[in-house]
Parts: sequence; C-alpha cells; structure tokens
Amino acid sequence: MTKKKNIGRTLCIILTFIFLYMPIGVLILFSFNSGDSTAVFQGISLRWYKELFTDAATLNALKNTLVLAILSSVISTIIGTAAAYGISKMRNKYVKSATMSATQIPMINPEIVTGISMMLLFVFVANIVRSSSLLGFWTVLIAHITFNLPYVILLVLPKFKEMDKSLPEAALDLGCTPFQSFFKVELPAIMPGIVAGFIMAFTLSIDDFVISYFTTGSGFETLPIRIYSMTKKRVTPDMYALSTLIFITILVLLLISNFASGKNKIELSKKAKNAVKFTGIGVFGTIATVTLIILCISAATEVKTVNVYNWGEYISDGGDDSLDVNKEFEKWAEEQYREKYDKKVKVQVNYTTYASNEDLYAKIANGAGGYDVIVPSDYMLEKMYSEGLLQPLDTEKIPNLIYLGDQFENMFVYEHTVKDENGAEMKENQTYGIAYTYGVVGIVYNSAELLENAPEILEYIEKEEAGWEVMFGIPKRDENGNFVYDENGKMILDMDDPDNKKFNEAYLKLKGQILQFNNPRDAFGSAMYYLGIDVNNPSEEDWRAVYGLLALQKDYVQGYVMDEIYNKMEKGESWIAAYYAGDCLSMMGENTDLDFYYPKDQNGDYTTNIFADAMCIPSTADESNLELAHWYINFMMEPEIAYANAEYIYYGCPYNYLPTDENGDSILDEETLEANKEAIDNYRINMGYYEYLFDKNGEILTDSDGSYILEYDENGNRIVDPEGDYFVIYNADFENSLLSMFEKFAYKDLTNSYVELSNGTKVSNLTMLNDKWETLKIESTSMVGIYIICLVIALGVVAFFVYTFIKKRRQRRFYWASTTPSKQPQKKQELPDFSETAVIAIEKAKKRDK
Amino acid sequence: MNENKIIEPKGEAEQATENTEAKKIVQLIDVAKSFDGEIILDHINLDVHEKEFITLLGPSGCGKTTTLRIIAGFVTPDTGDVLFENVKINDLPPHKRHVNTVFQKYALFPHLNVYENIAFALRLKKVKEEEIYERVEEMLAMVNLRGFEKKDVNLLSGGQQQRVAIARALINKPKVLLLDEPLGALDLKLRKDMQNELKNIQRKTGITFVYVTHDQEEALSMSDTVVVMADGKIQQIGTPTDIYNEPENAFVADFIGESNIIDGVMLDDYKVKFSGHEFVCLDSGFGRGEAVDVVVRPEDVDVVPLDKGMLNGVVTSVTFKGVHYEIIVSIKDFKWMIQSTDYVEVGQQIGVYVEPDAIHIMKKSEYSNMFGDYSSFSDELEHLSDASEEEE
Repeated sequence: MTKKKNIGRTLCIILTFIFLYMPIGVLILFSFNSGDSTAVFQGISLRWYKELFTDAATLNALKNTLVLAILSSVISTIIGTAAAYGISKMRNKYVKSATMSATQIPMINPEIVTGISMMLLFVFVANIVRSSSLLGFWTVLIAHITFNLPYVILLVLPKFKEMDKSLPEAALDLGCTPFQSFFKVELPAIMPGIVAGFIMAFTLSIDDFVISYFTTGSGFETLPIRIYSMTKKRVTPDMYALSTLIFITILVLLLISNFASGKNKIELSKKAKNAVKFTGIGVFGTIATVTLIILCISAATEVKTVNVYNWGEYISDGGDDSLDVNKEFEKWAEEQYREKYDKKVKVQVNYTTYASNEDLYAKIANGAGGYDVIVPSDYMLEKMYSEGLLQPLDTEKIPNLIYLGDQFENMFVYEHTVKDENGAEMKENQTYGIAYTYGVVGIVYNSAELLENAPEILEYIEKEEAGWEVMFGIPKRDENGNFVYDENGKMILDMDDPDNKKFNEAYLKLKGQILQFNNPRDAFGSAMYYLGIDVNNPSEEDWRAVYGLLALQKDYVQGYVMDEIYNKMEKGESWIAAYYAGDCLSMMGENTDLDFYYPKDQNGDYTTNIFADAMCIPSTADESNLELAHWYINFMMEPEIAYANAEYIYYGCPYNYLPTDENGDSILDEETLEANKEAIDNYRINMGYYEYLFDKNGEILTDSDGSYILEYDENGNRIVDPEGDYFVIYNADFENSLLSMFEKFAYKDLTNSYVELSNGTKVSNLTMLNDKWETLKIESTSMVGIYIICLVIALGVVAFFVYTFIKKRRQRRFYWASTTPSKQPQKKQELPDFSETAVIAIEKAKKRDK
Repeated sequence: MNENKIIEPKGEAEQATENTEAKKIVQLIDVAKSFDGEIILDHINLDVHEKEFITLLGPSGCGKTTTLRIIAGFVTPDTGDVLFENVKINDLPPHKRHVNTVFQKYALFPHLNVYENIAFALRLKKVKEEEIYERVEEMLAMVNLRGFEKKDVNLLSGGQQQRVAIARALINKPKVLLLDEPLGALDLKLRKDMQNELKNIQRKTGITFVYVTHDQEEALSMSDTVVVMADGKIQQIGTPTDIYNEPENAFVADFIGESNIIDGVMLDDYKVKFSGHEFVCLDSGFGRGEAVDVVVRPEDVDVVPLDKGMLNGVVTSVTFKGVHYEIIVSIKDFKWMIQSTDYVEVGQQIGVYVEPDAIHIMKKSEYSNMFGDYSSFSDELEHLSDASEEEE
C-alpha cells in the first residue's frame, strides 16, 4: 500500500514539475535550434545566440532593462528598508497595521491600474511644468521604484520582526552609538531579507512590461516592450536565446540568494559559501560595471536625438545581413550637420515601437510627448489630424517628395488654419503625412491541403474570380433578395440554389480550418467588403447583416487569431485565412504550399481593404528636433533606404524611382524629369515587394551575384511571363486598380461616423462595432462552461472559508464557555484536562485578579 | 526637572549617612515609571552594593525588568534619580554606562561567530588585535567554551549561547552586570549547572551582579540579597534566609516557598490564636487582640495521631513528590498543606502538631486573605500561571 502511495505521490510531483518547467524547457531547446522554425527542431547550433549579440536594437533594450533594474532595485531596496525599519519601530499597533496594509495595497493593485495612474501623474506633472517630454527613462525608473517598494518592505519587515528585540539594545549596551548599532548589528541581522528584497525587485523590474509600457516615452525601450512590439511580425528565435539567458541569470541569482540567506538547511563549507557569495558579487559587479561604462560613454558626448515611434519589425534594422537604416541615418545626419552648420554633432535615432494604431493613439492622445516621427495608418492619421495631434510637414525640407507615387501625393493633405499678419484666420492645405508603406488584406491558403481535402475550393480560387465567399460561404436570401436569419440573428448557408448549394457543400469541408482576424475592425471589415457594404458608412441593417454573416462563419472557423496565424498557416494546421499581404508573403517564404489571392466581387473588381501607413510629426514634437525629424522622413525616401526597407518588411513601397546606370546615377537629369513627367512614368521602376520574382517554390529568384532579378524591356516595362517558372506576387493590372482603390476602399476611422437606429437614436459606428464584436465573441457555449466552472470554484472557496470560520467560532465559544474570559484560546492546549480542582483553581485565580 | 531638585538633597543626605559597610555602587532613589498610564514602578528605593549578588524577584509585571532596564539606561525614569558611584546618570545613554547586560534571549549577533560576538565591545573601542585575542580567550576559558571560536552562534545550544552572552557582557569588565532572567530558556538540569557557574563567575570576578528572575528557588540559592517586588513596589529586601523565615507580608510568604497563611488573633506577646486553638509563638510586639496573618510552612507541620494533635482534620488529597508527600488537610474549612514523609490516606482523620518556632506572625497587609489557602491547590494552576507569565 505505502509503496503504491509513494508512486502516486512521486507521479504528482513529476507532473507538477512538467507543468512548471515544460515551457521553459521547450524555450531553451529551441534557442539552440539551427533553423528558424518554431515547430521543427533542425539541429543544435548557437546561431541565435550569435544573432542576438549582433542585434543592436535588442542589445540596447537589454542595456536599458539592466540599467533600470539595477537602479530601481537598489533605490527601492534602500527606501524599502528604511520604511520597514520605521514601521517596525512603530509603537501604536493600529497605526502600524494600517501603515503595513497601505504599503501592501499597491502590490495587489492590478498592474494596468498602476501603469495608467503613473502615466496620468507624469503627464499631469508635465503639463504643470510645461514640458512636452517628461515620459522616458526617469519616469519608468520612478514607476519601477514605486512598484518594487511594497515587495521590498514585505520581505524586509519580517526580518525586523524576527530579529531579537534586544539585539539593538545589546549593541548599545556593549558601547555602540545608536548609529553604529543600526549599521553594525541591525542591518547585518536583516541582511538576508534585504538581499531577498533586492533580488525580488531586480527580477520584477526586469520582468515588468505593463507599467513600463505606459510610463515610457519616446526614447526608452525596455526588453519586454521590444519583445512585445515584435509580435506585430514574429518573435525571432534570438528572443528564445535571450529568454534562456535571462532565465539562467535569474536561476543563478535565486540560488545565490538561497545560499546567502543565513539559515541554510544544507551546511556548506565556508569555502563553498564564500565561493557562492563571490560569484554573486561578481555577477552583479560585472553587470553593474558594464552598464555604468555604457552609461558614461553615452553621457560623455553631446548628442542630438530624433525620437521615432514606429510599428514593430517595420524597418530594415540590420538583422539578416540587411542595411541598418537608422544607423545609416545617424551617419548621414552627422555629415549633414558638418556640411551645413560646420558642427560636430552626434546624432542618435531613438527608435521605439508599438503594436497597434490604438496603442500609438493612446500614447499620443494622452499627451506623451517626445516623439518626433510617428507612423500611423491612414484612418488613425486622419483621426489624429482631426484631434489636432499632428503638425503639418514642411514639404520644402523633404526634397525626396518627388519620388512619392502620384496616388499618394494628396492622400494626407488636409486643411490647416493659419493666421496672417492681420490676425485673420486663413485656411490652406498642408501635407500631414507622407506614405511609408501600403498594403492590402488578402487571403492566404494552403494549396496542398485544399487539393487534398477540398479540391472544388482550390479550383474555384484558381479560376481567379474568387472573392470572400471562400471565407464565409454563400448565405441564403429570400425571393426578394433579402438575407434570411435564424432566431439568433445568424445567417444560413444557401442550400436551395443548386450552384450555391454546390459551393456551400465544398465550403463545409473547410469547417474548422478557417482563421479569422482577432480584431473587430478587420473581421467586420472583411464581412462588409463581401456583402458590398460601404465600410465607412454602414446602416443599421448593414450592421445586422455583417453580424449575421460573422455568426454564420463562426461555426466554421478554427479560431480568431492575430500572430498565431504564422504558426498555424506555416505548419498547415489551418488551410485558409485572411491577413495583411506583407505578412502573408512572409508566411509564403516559410511554407511553399501557401498561396495568396485578392478577393474580387461578382463584377471581377477587387474588393478588400487597402491601407497606407504614413510618416507624421506629432504636434507635441520638440521644436528643436523638427529639422532632424524632416531629415529623417526625407531619408526614408532615399532610393537605397526605401529599397532596403521594402526588401526587409515586404510591404508595398509608395515611392517610384528612376532607373539608374551601373554607377547608381540616375539616367535622367532633374530637368528632363520635370519637363517630361508623363513620359518618365514609363521609366519609373516601382519599388516594393511586387517587384520580386518568385519561383514556383516561393523562393525569390536571384542572379549569380545574389541580387534580385529584375527584367525590363527597353521602354522600362517589366517583362512578365505568366507561363514561366516564376511569378509575380502583385500582378500588373492589380497594381493599377489597387492604387485607384484608395478612395473607395480605405477603411476609415469609425469614431466620428454615426448610424441612425430604427428607434431614432444615433450611435457611433465604433460603439456598434465593439458591441457586435463582443456579442459575437461571447456567445460561445464553451465560454459559458468556463464561467460555470469559475463560479463553482469561487462558491466552493467561499463555502470552505465560511465553514472553517463557523467551526472556529463554535470551538471558541465552547472554549470561552468552559474557561474564564481572561484566558486566551491557545492556552487550551496547555491545560491537560479539566479536573474539578482545576476549575476551582481558575475560580480562585479570578478572585485574585479582582 | 522640578522633581529632581526636590529629591537631590535627600539623595545626598543618604549618601552621607551610609558609608559604613560595602560601598554603594548603584542607587535608585524614589524612582517611578509608568507606561500609557499604567504604573510600572511606584516610587522605589534600592541600593546595590559593590561585589554583591542581588536578585530582583517577583511575578511578571512586578517591575523587576523595568528596574533593570532603568539601571542599564534603556528606560528613563519619570521621576527619581539613578546614581552610579554617587553620580547621577539619569540621562546618560546606555553605551556610556559602565554596566553590561545579559539578555533573556541572549541577543547574540547572528551574523558574527562566537569569537567576534565576544570581541564586539573591544572592537568598538579599537583595542589592539593581540589584546582582543588574549581577552577573548580568557573569557572563553572562563565560560568553558574553548575551541568554539569559529562556531556559528546560530548553531550553538541554548546553554552555549548563554555562555557566549555572559562572556560578551563580561569582556568589558563592567562594574555591574545586569542579568535579565538569563536562565529562563534553559531546561532544569542545565539551569542548575549554570546557576553554579554564574555564582562562581561572580565570586571569581568580584563584579556586582543584578539578577532578575521569577524563580524563587533560583533567587534563594544564588543571591546575597533578594529584593521581592510586586505591583511596582519593593515588598521586602533581605538575605535569602530572612526572606524565607521572616516574610514581611502575605505576598512574600506565599511567593517564597509554600506557606499556610491563616487569620489569627494576637492574644498576648508570644501567644496567638488561630483555627480555634491557642498557640505559643516566638513573636512579640503586637497589640493585644490585634488581627494578624499567621504563617506556617508546610514542612514545619507534623502529622500526629488524632489524640496527640493540636488541630484535627481530614485528608483531602495526597501527592507523592519524591522526597515527601504533599498532603492537603482540611482543618476548620481551611485547607492546609503539609509536607511529610509519612503516608496518610485520603479521607483519614489526622492530628496536626505545630511547634512554636514554626509559627511566624505578620501584620495584616493589602495582601492578606489572598494567599495561603490550599483549598484550590493544584499543579495545573501553577503551570497555568507560569505559562501566562512567560507570555508577557
């Protein structure tokens, strides 16, 4: 029996450990993967460690994180210890416990609340001192100290309590002054608590994302923020390597703290103890010195900084042998300062990233200053303009505007009110943004899986007439052409019309293999494109229809995803999904079975969302940085730079360049260019991903030099052989219709558009969108199940506590009834049993007490 | 400050008069202290003489520890003066006083080893290393801890820690050593050994020991002088024999050893009546017919056959205590405790005989009728009250 029990126990422990350490184990394993797949282990190599140490931006973020962690943990340890000392010396019990609770509340407070409240405070203070850019290193440091403090107090205070009260008295007694007593006796006695508090603070600080994210400004990016912003594309395996290193460091710290805290269960020889201590000191020392040296170096030279806030993975950053665009700009701008002002200035690009337009908006709209260049998407740009968050660009400072494609020229030109000399208001058109990239939502599918499981669908797609129906099926309409809904407001697949029935039967084979956007904007947007609804002006009936369609689709989707789409599509776990074109191309590079198309409507016209992200200068930008900001925008339009970016990020490049000769000089001079603008259009080489030629395996074709093959005829037109063994991702006629689609399809911000409901009220379309999205996501049986389980658990816990409470009360009442009220309950154990004499004795004691 | 002015002349006067015997080293003059309105010390006067082993004895809350802490300098008295070698030291901080303390829970510095703990005071004074070594070794030899220099103090046994604490306090060669229930945490056997050792150390070094305890046996066996305290007042000061044999009042009689305290009436000098019987005693000087407390120690009562007894009673309980039996006898509704080597049975009628020199007469006091009746006696109660004391 006992043996069996032991096995069960061991099994439980093993399972717990597997549960706890499996993820980390996998992480460590994959950090040594020689390939970059997240699913297949291709052999051991240190490749990602090597890449990690050549990734300048990540190393910079690591440096920031370490500086922050060291400073914040040291400061919070000092303050926290002082606070714990003060609390421990408090005489009044009530004040003491109240103070302790007060210091502990921030620990229970959700991080998000702390983060937002700290940000508010800093912005508020910034307003008072009339500074635009308070958010940055110092604010993050203050925030980190703030949230570290309770933990330090929590860990140090018990040591004060544990400490023999007469210890300081003994010190005084032996001749210490009170000051000496604290440093020679009390401090060493509580040292284990301080060390534990310090390590706790250190790891918490390294770990923190939420609070840092809210309190940081333009120039300061910590490691967690950087990793998070990478999720726009994909977490690269060098992050696995970094995470492994961090895990091991923390592990070492933990071991050290365990050995260092005096009461070791394991008796170590003095030498071993010292060795552990010295390694600990060594590790910390090294980290501290390295960061200090970096700090000193960076502080020594006078610098000019441009603060760029862009999407994650949205610039060529030097990874994968690409051009480090920001570094190039620094060099170029330094040269510019020398030439123009004969000044020696060190230029620095503070490049930080965000994951969504809404994140960017939250930052800027909340008054976070200090950003000089930001890159919102079209709808967000318009929203920000209308709220006065952007300032007009000085187009004279951006000579490279000449390269901007015609379709983008007026895209972000809005009215700007200026005052003339007489003080009268004048309105003029100004450029608020210059396109950085553009892209389209398309449908990516796994041709091999479709061929095997739903060949009809594949056939349908390959006829090049396919639209959104592949994602949604064909819903049923009544004889008047109106949609038919079931009692839940859900549309029904059409099984009456023979053609539709045939398609829908094929569609049913996709059940559980479809991925849909996990954001309301794109999910509802794609449904609207399918139903031919004007995305920027839907009616109440339209909202009902798109909801019905998405509810219909919900039964067939595998899941609502964003970043997970990479894994799922690349591994063939899902067969079809709608996503952003640039990211789809990334996936196709990983899995050659994947293909891609743009949905068309019944007339054969493309019908999908097109978006453009544009470089802007926020109105809060530092005035002294304006020139540098304009330079930066201009620099992004330089041919090599734009080329490097397009090559790296796979999104469409909105600039056109003239063909160059072997030396890289323009074939045509500027004057000719101006004079024959129209003729020159023929010579324009459209930059961007649709330029590359792919072979049938999805590999980009290169010539023997490793440069990409671009073929043009003598008129500058690209030679495309549709029957050849390569194909072009964006075909030529699409290119034209795509750009003309901006007016029609660009999906604008919904905040300021309203829908009139049948009951007469007016509701913002954004509210409508979010409401419908919530209904769509929540109406799930499995979720109801989870709620019920949670409820049962919660009730169980409450019942348990009530039970123990009542039990204790009853025990106490029994005890109090049977003894005198002057004795405390715990004494009960010390009473052997209640013999008669004892009862009399207690009565006597009572008498005596009186 | 005002109070100081009033009291000072009195202090000087006392100094002048008392220069006969051993020199007074510490004097407490009219010292009072209260915490949060609760009176802890109620105007006490105490002299500590040179080379004396003086014990402050009393139940918990009697003010004995506060008295010690006032001498050490951790507590400042509300009124009254503390004199050290005839110099007022009321406001002298602890680290400037020539006294050292051995704390109840030893208060060893957990981050230092045995050697460094003992050397702590010398290091503060920046004494030369060689001298530190010599003196620490000397101390270690004295407390029988040679060879323990490098040991971690957290890994020592209670007795060993105690020795380190004593050595640490003595290395400064203080004029007065204060010991705050130093043996309280040790088990009985170890406590007895340490009592002897402490006494030896005191004799060898000639240092004045001020010792605080609630254990009367400890107090009686170690001290030159015992100070019995209760309710913030000194009840009696005297040699152990005086305290035991001539208790001043019912409290002292009850607290020191076991006693039967019976209401009596002084009929005349050397004649007292209690329990309905007239006894001859050795006390005189009371008023005729004065109500008094009569103390009879249990070991001084003889069990005799019924017909030979001065008093008769029924045995209500008998407990075997090893050396003797503890017999509770009910005589005229008063329960007596008798310690006897003769066995009697519960329910048996016995006679009781009390010799004149076994009777001690005390004046009535505020403690009369509170102690000395064994009607409710039980080991459990003793245990209970001990526990509550330790909790304080």
